[in-house]
Amino acid sequence: MGGKRVFVSGVGGELGTTIAGLLEDESWVGELSGIDVDPPRRRLHRTVFHRIHPDEHDRIVETVAEFNPHVLVHVGVWEPDARAAPKAAARLTDQAATSILGAAAECSALEHVVVRSGIEIYGRGRGALTRPSESASIAPTSDWGRTVAAIERTAAKVGERVGVTVGAVRLAPVLGPHVPSPLGRLLRQPGVPFSVLADPPFAVIEDRDAARAIVAAARVGLAGPVNVVAPGAITALQAARRGRRIPVPLVGPDWRVARALSYLFGAPIPDHVSEVLHRGRLADSGRMRDLLGITPDHGTIDVIDRLYNWPSIVHQPARVQVA
Amino acid sequence: MTSTLGRVVNFPGRTTASRAGAAMSRAAGDLSASVTRLADEQAGIVDDWGRDPGLVRTVIRASRLRWDVTVGGDQLLPRRKGALIVVNARTLALAPVFAAFALSDIVDRPVRFVGRPDTAPVGAFMRRIGGLLDHPDEVAGALAAGQLVIMGAEHNERLRKVGRVDHALVGSALAAGVQVFPAATSSSPIGRGARLEIGAASRSPRRRRGPLGELELADQVARDIERQLAEMGDIRTGTPLDWLPLSGLGGA
Repeated sequence: MGGKRVFVSGVGGELGTTIAGLLEDESWVGELSGIDVDPPRRRLHRTVFHRIHPDEHDRIVETVAEFNPHVLVHVGVWEPDARAAPKAAARLTDQAATSILGAAAECSALEHVVVRSGIEIYGRGRGALTRPSESASIAPTSDWGRTVAAIERTAAKVGERVGVTVGAVRLAPVLGPHVPSPLGRLLRQPGVPFSVLADPPFAVIEDRDAARAIVAAARVGLAGPVNVVAPGAITALQAARRGRRIPVPLVGPDWRVARALSYLFGAPIPDHVSEVLHRGRLADSGRMRDLLGITPDHGTIDVIDRLYNWPSIVHQPARVQVA
Repeated sequence: MTSTLGRVVNFPGRTTASRAGAAMSRAAGDLSASVTRLADEQAGIVDDWGRDPGLVRTVIRASRLRWDVTVGGDQLLPRRKGALIVVNARTLALAPVFAAFALSDIVDRPVRFVGRPDTAPVGAFMRRIGGLLDHPDEVAGALAAGQLVIMGAEHNERLRKVGRVDHALVGSALAAGVQVFPAATSSSPIGRGARLEIGAASRSPRRRRGPLGELELADQVARDIERQLAEMGDIRTGTPLDWLPLSGLGGA
């Protein structure tokens, strides 16, 4: 299986950079190339990076077609209020998905596609399963959920048309020291809002575990969806207590005020995070070990504890003033 | 010489306590895939289904003020695998709830019950004490993960009669490859005494390849519970209340 050409979209993001770094160590990977609007967060030794904006369709098609990948790993998605405002995030994600998956469909060598998705795809409507498995119906109830559902649909269409396998890695909310996450930002605020009436449980996944899962999906040729969720669960109140934050109990109209204040403090609450706080977000990742051959290294509680232990930047004055 | 980057961003070393916490967290994750003992459950967190062990312990203690449950037949349940236990139920008797608490105490494992609503705050509270939605996929997921789940038959006000057993939920047990156990419950609206008697696993009278198997198994479970209720006999209070056919005694 050696010498496969692997193309990673969204390689400039934290998750994409980690994935590219892991792929560089894989023996089955030959050439490695990536694309993003921002350069990678760390130095990549083997990956050839192309800095292209998602709306430059012609350049994207040209770059992908010239590389002619065997495996496409599409992680070029923008979570609302992570790095872009919800509307811009939806537009960028749609542009990237259309251009890159469309370009990949033109590649004669293409064998397999892996897309990053999310467990938001199941939705949290009334009567929704507490821990949906991969076979649960797709009924997204948030913008982010609808976005990842659209990505899966597009990838599936490409797979059907070209005759290649498509794997969707449905990630729980991804947290990590450098990952821009609206949920992570909210939980690290001095005061953490929680729903008095519900305070439902949610699960997360650490960024490196998420990257390992996506790399494993590319390695094994995953042909279908898989939930990637760290074991365990936690509620917002419990998270606030573990992080020694001030729990702010809210009910009904208080949330409107809390959302506005949180926005002003630099931690906007998009609808999918609001849904986590009101309805919870769990998923059954029982098939992960069977399908991918790996399990997460960190449980949800561990990831939350690490979220509060991640250091802030310490500014130190220069020892010698040169200007 | 240390690098400049290392001085600018200060990454504190992980303490022994945090390493131990991480190990416990991983261990808890592994356990949830097999068998979780009540004593192993940490307070202050919820499990994979949102059950709060600390709250459950409190509620079980409080429930002893209302019910004094005698449990029998618990040795028939699998020690590690999941199982679906079907109990007879009557209006306001909360049979699946008190049965889940009593059985959990006896077998030293979390026991979940089916039938929580999905509206706050009642649904949220019931999820915290081990409630699952009345949905076949929800039950199948818990059973496949090795959980003990109690569901109630439909309410029936006649003593020694069991209401319809939801065949879709029984089908979820078949899908998960676990056994279905009939269990007879009895309780009194005016006394604390209650019983939970678990019988041997029910078996479908015929081997079926299609959905008929779950229908026949559901009917068999109901018959098995009725037989167990008959074996339990009537509850006697020694008062004229026993003469009343609708006294509310027995049957749960």
